[in-house]
Amino acid sequence: MKLPLDPSLWSSVRLVLHVAFFLAVFYLLKELVGLRDLARLRHLPKPKGRFRVALILLGLLFGGLLIYQATWQLTGVYRPQFISFMQLHDRRDFNPAHWIQRGRLLDRNGEALAYTRERNGQVQRVYPDGPVFAPVVGYTQPKFGATGMEAVASVHLNGGEPTSLDDWGELGRQIVARDKRPKGKDLVLTLDAGLQRLAVERLQGRRGAVVLLSPQDGAVRVLASQPAYDPNRIDSSLFLQQDPTAPLLNRATQGLYPPGSTFKIAVAAMALERGFRGTLDCPANGFTTSSGYRRIRDHEYYSARRRGKTWRGYGRIGLAKAFSRSSNVFFAQLGVRYGHDTFYAMTDRMLMNRTLVLHETAYGRFGMRTGELGRIPDSDKYGLAQLSIGQGRLLVTPAYMALMAAAVANQGVAVRPRLIDAAPSAALGRFMSAETARQLSAMMRQVVTQGTARGIDDPRLAIAGKTGTAENPQGDPHSWLVGFAPAERPQLAVAVLVEQGGYGSTVAAPIAHDLLVRAQEIGLIR
Amino acid sequence: MSAKRKAPSRPTTLGEAWALRWPERHLLSICALAIGLGFMMVLGSGYAEGQPFEAMDLTPFLIYGACLAAMHLTLVATRFHGDQILLSSLAFLAGFGLLAQYRMGTLNLSDLTSASLYLFPAGIALMLAACLALMRGRYERLKDGLWIWAGLSLLLVAALLALGQRYRGGVYGAGLITPTELLKVTVVLYLASFIDRNAKALANWGKGFPRPPLRALLPVGVFWAALTALLLLQRDLGMFVILSVTLLIMLFVGTQRLGYMVLGGLAATAAGYLVLGLFAHGQRRIQAWLSPFDDPTGNSWQILQGLSGMYSGGLWGEGFGEGNPEYTPIAQSDFIYSVIGEELGFVGCVLIVIFFLIFFGRGLGIADQTRSSFGRLVCIGLTTVLATQTFLNLGGVTKFIPLTGITLPFISHGGSSLITSFISLGLLLAISEGAPKAQGSSARKKAPTRPKRATQKQPASKKRPARAAKAD
Repeated sequence: MKLPLDPSLWSSVRLVLHVAFFLAVFYLLKELVGLRDLARLRHLPKPKGRFRVALILLGLLFGGLLIYQATWQLTGVYRPQFISFMQLHDRRDFNPAHWIQRGRLLDRNGEALAYTRERNGQVQRVYPDGPVFAPVVGYTQPKFGATGMEAVASVHLNGGEPTSLDDWGELGRQIVARDKRPKGKDLVLTLDAGLQRLAVERLQGRRGAVVLLSPQDGAVRVLASQPAYDPNRIDSSLFLQQDPTAPLLNRATQGLYPPGSTFKIAVAAMALERGFRGTLDCPANGFTTSSGYRRIRDHEYYSARRRGKTWRGYGRIGLAKAFSRSSNVFFAQLGVRYGHDTFYAMTDRMLMNRTLVLHETAYGRFGMRTGELGRIPDSDKYGLAQLSIGQGRLLVTPAYMALMAAAVANQGVAVRPRLIDAAPSAALGRFMSAETARQLSAMMRQVVTQGTARGIDDPRLAIAGKTGTAENPQGDPHSWLVGFAPAERPQLAVAVLVEQGGYGSTVAAPIAHDLLVRAQEIGLIR
Repeated sequence: MSAKRKAPSRPTTLGEAWALRWPERHLLSICALAIGLGFMMVLGSGYAEGQPFEAMDLTPFLIYGACLAAMHLTLVATRFHGDQILLSSLAFLAGFGLLAQYRMGTLNLSDLTSASLYLFPAGIALMLAACLALMRGRYERLKDGLWIWAGLSLLLVAALLALGQRYRGGVYGAGLITPTELLKVTVVLYLASFIDRNAKALANWGKGFPRPPLRALLPVGVFWAALTALLLLQRDLGMFVILSVTLLIMLFVGTQRLGYMVLGGLAATAAGYLVLGLFAHGQRRIQAWLSPFDDPTGNSWQILQGLSGMYSGGLWGEGFGEGNPEYTPIAQSDFIYSVIGEELGFVGCVLIVIFFLIFFGRGLGIADQTRSSFGRLVCIGLTTVLATQTFLNLGGVTKFIPLTGITLPFISHGGSSLITSFISLGLLLAISEGAPKAQGSSARKKAPTRPKRATQKQPASKKRPARAAKAD
């Protein structure tokens, strides 16, 4: 049979019927309640209200059920796992989960690091810079879930984190009006897109990590890790392959490396706190705690021997000179002199063996490890000598070394690194006294003016830093530079690590230099 | 309307009955209007998708309308003066169920001999039959059948176990009919008769340290052990939970001893752990409930698909007939609520729950007004069964509690459940009609011969309820 109704008119007719149905049911309810009195059972004894409590309990029970149901049906956007389940497994075309206009992730200047667009009737997440920001931004993909800020801030990006009255109003409007294109909220990060791109570019495809952060408020400007995956192309091969370059590993926050000479910053701080003023003898044939162990020697000894010459050693030198020349012999002796307890008290104060939280929501956290330090027995003096020059049972992350430099730059106080522009800054703790930090700053400045990092001394910008060339069992030493600028009133702390890069002074230091100079050009350092 | 207010509470003529049942007539016609609009939505969306429209498609609505009219006229003709609100809220819920089944395509319209079409009229007929057979206080005779109800209950489960077939972890009779659904009536009748007879002994918890009267509880204990064993053999956990809750509440109401609830709560906790250890599919359901995203495409698939549908529906729903409930496995029976959530939204769900609450509220209200303790116990028992069943179903679908695989009364697809719910309703209606006046306290004193005719001929007066209350 043919109906006089044109199927194209159906959508408006349907709406009328829908409303009419609800109105009819509401009218029925109203009449049910209104006629209650008229339909009373007058032939029976008067009601005594014996089961009023039971009815109230029943009402509460079903009311609770409806409220719980509403947390799925109306505010399901609060459940990231539920949303991704629906995005992957729900075939209902009209499901709003498929149409969420997820908010953008922006850098500090408002440049989009991730955004959502609609193409061919499908909503798609786009990462314009591919792998560059992957270590921070992460990815979101229904099948493989989400990582990075995409995971941690998922609810915010989906628009499900009302913080103000307006947000509640917007959420309510979306629920009531059945918005087919729910709009999420943008999130502004502390990153500087230009600097991060430069960091990746300067790593030139080598494995490594770069971290730049503001010592005073903890704002992370660069958090780069190479090689990284392309979040635009996530598929199972990424997770199945045993890729030796480990693109999924965030080297900056999770990669553990021996710190080498950069750890002398911590040991020097320890000695300064203990009031060390004197000199130590640093002979050419090095230092050992027992004749059975290989002697710890200085870098100059080896380079002289390679050239067929002999080196006479530093003789008696003070802390500042030993620091700027990065004398292993000096620091090994220094560490042994103060002993195990002092060393471990210092590393504990500097938050070794922790995971710090950069951003946390109820749905996940973006964390960084500080490092891994094993406890060695008090009798193991040689082990302590090794630890004091940043070798042995000591591993750190690049982000941690940046944090240590930031603490020196901020009068000894470490501020929690943060990735969200709007997040308040919070102190983590005091790594050293203000006086120690002041002396250490001067020593680090000397490293650049006359020590191992002379190569990056630049009249435009007073950089302070410490190089590191960390021996490791995998092959060539890792190349480090840890520092800050300007030396007098620090505004940016940096840590650069290049895996198997060779000398810190020749590989990592120039990268740090270029980044700091660029930061000055764009106004991050004034 | 003022004229109608004067309708007598105990009609003797057809005209009086017609006037008395005006609210029911009014409410039923609004029901028909609302359900009619629902049918138009379902029909229209099918038509818009290109399905040809046939006159046959109107059959379910015509059946519904005819059933309501027949029901109302029968009640007027028999000068029935029982509850009207209960009947009207049921008419909406059952009509909604019919609509939902029609929408899910479980009504076979092309084959006029298929049972699905006649289920609803049969339910209404059975309800009326039960009501008419038991009204005017005749339901009191049911309590003489104490051991018949117990035997029948056990026989039903045992027969099903012996003859039934296994399907999806449970046992079903021929054609997936579940005769055990009738337990919801027979067990309630047994318990009501038993508690009514032994109320004093059961309420005697001893002086000093309260302990239950074990000797008085022995018969019900033995019956319960046998029933539990049979039900667990059949893997019917949901039924076990429903009946156990009913047992506790009926014991409490019959004896006013809160101790039964406390004791029952403790026993339930212990039994819960024990039973979960024994049933693999129970454990899987608990797992799916606690962490649904551990195995989203396996154990939790059904519930997550149901919730996805509800999320898609949002506040107002997509419109009846517009959603895609076919994505939720067996949506037409256990998961019908999620279809409502998808197509009529959260508002539709709230409305359904409100109607259920009105229904239960009337059940409790009738119990409150019933003088005979047997009648009261039957009312409480049947209401508890329906309320527990509703809660287990809605809670399971919304992930509020673990899934128990239980149908939603009046709305889910499932003939046995529907018929049983209608019979329960018939019983409630019969009790709401009340016993003839003299059968109250005075009848017991006087003589075994019941002066039934005398009471019926008494003219109705407004003062009667007050007097009755005093006499009670």
